[in-house]
Amino acid sequence: MPTRMPLQESEAIVLRSYPLGEADRLVSFLSRSAGRIRGVARGARRPKSRFGASLEPLSHIRIWFYERETRELVRIHQCELLESFLDAQRDFQCGCALALMAEVAEAVLPEREAAEGAFRLLLHVAREIRDSHAVALPLAFYALWMVRLAGWLGDLERCARCGASLREVAAWSRIGAAGLYCSRCRQGGMRALSAEALELARCMLTARLENLRRFQDRIQPLQELSRFYLDLIEYQIERKLLSRPMVEAGK
Amino acid sequence: MPDFAAPIARLIDELKRLPGIGQKTAQRLAFHLLRADREQALALAEAIRNAKEHLRPCSVCGNITDADPCLYCASPARNRKQICVVEEAHNILPIEKTRQYNGLYHVLGGALSPLQGTGPEQLSIKPLLERLKSGEVEEIIIATNPTAEGEATAVYLSKLIKPLGIRVTRIGVGIPVGAELEYADEVTLLKAIEGRREL
Repeated sequence: MPTRMPLQESEAIVLRSYPLGEADRLVSFLSRSAGRIRGVARGARRPKSRFGASLEPLSHIRIWFYERETRELVRIHQCELLESFLDAQRDFQCGCALALMAEVAEAVLPEREAAEGAFRLLLHVAREIRDSHAVALPLAFYALWMVRLAGWLGDLERCARCGASLREVAAWSRIGAAGLYCSRCRQGGMRALSAEALELARCMLTARLENLRRFQDRIQPLQELSRFYLDLIEYQIERKLLSRPMVEAGK
Repeated sequence: MPDFAAPIARLIDELKRLPGIGQKTAQRLAFHLLRADREQALALAEAIRNAKEHLRPCSVCGNITDADPCLYCASPARNRKQICVVEEAHNILPIEKTRQYNGLYHVLGGALSPLQGTGPEQLSIKPLLERLKSGEVEEIIIATNPTAEGEATAVYLSKLIKPLGIRVTRIGVGIPVGAELEYADEVTLLKAIEGRREL
């Protein structure tokens, strides 16, 4: 008989949930203190469930859970809803963008490794999508920062081969490769990242998202940036992101 | 050496494919079937075979049926001015149990879920819009689940249907009967307040 461990309490963001058994839910959540965890919420699909709306995707919650010896899944004991993104998800385009962010977090973050930076990033960008109803800027920001937090971001200032400055010029890169090359060092099969997109990426690394709203209308370079870093993420996780085609179809 | 004789190992493997059935439950079910009367076990096999051979989606509404169109679509007693849109065919039964709804149904076959790769093209939305072309329908009742996916689907459908001049309504969302306000979270309460009605 597995022994119950002490009850743990943490702030968390629900990444996704799946129906399990008769009326339960298998929930993947990103805990601020303990990283990405999967657990079972018993009876969560029943109308009078004590979990209410707290286990909907992207819900910012306070969660109480306990681990059990020899079991991989934690048992979710209780949740308190701190902030809901349900209304933002009523808009199909915003809902697709939020789903893509959750999918990226689930694919990139290893299980049970504290990732407070990713937690704050996800919450911050989700709030921006909810408040602004804009998708291009928050999504590009999120993709770039997830790549950076995962340790896959190459130098945006200098050519990875000759060290030449990449300021105010387009850079070149192979799909999935982090390093950028200048036009002299570029090789066959590489694709360009425009000078404008590169400049936006540099801004995103130094400024807060709310201070970047003036770039919201520059859809072309923002989409270029999203595509570039989502390609890198897909290359690293070795699979396609399921929600990505829906986000890109709606752009 | 194998754990079980080949026929029972195969039975356990087949049972394990069912949702919510793990190795232990599959073994328990398999041994129960072995202990049961031959007629009882064969009746189960026959029921499965019969269901697979005779049931199909209704060509009008998508409900699972043995006769096409299904009993709701074929019935002259049903109100043809109302269509209740549900995610899955098994959602029809709880609505029928209320004995308050006498209209027709339309089964979407799921809800919009980007995380599962389910977009509008994967759902039965086009056939629904085709049904509305007759001009007979006056109200669409959207009865998708009150989840993020269900809400997104409801809003998406309302944006498509409202311009056709058809009334679009959503089933009430909020506090379940018998529950206490004290234990409701703010989203559930907000939905209940938004959906309030005059007494």
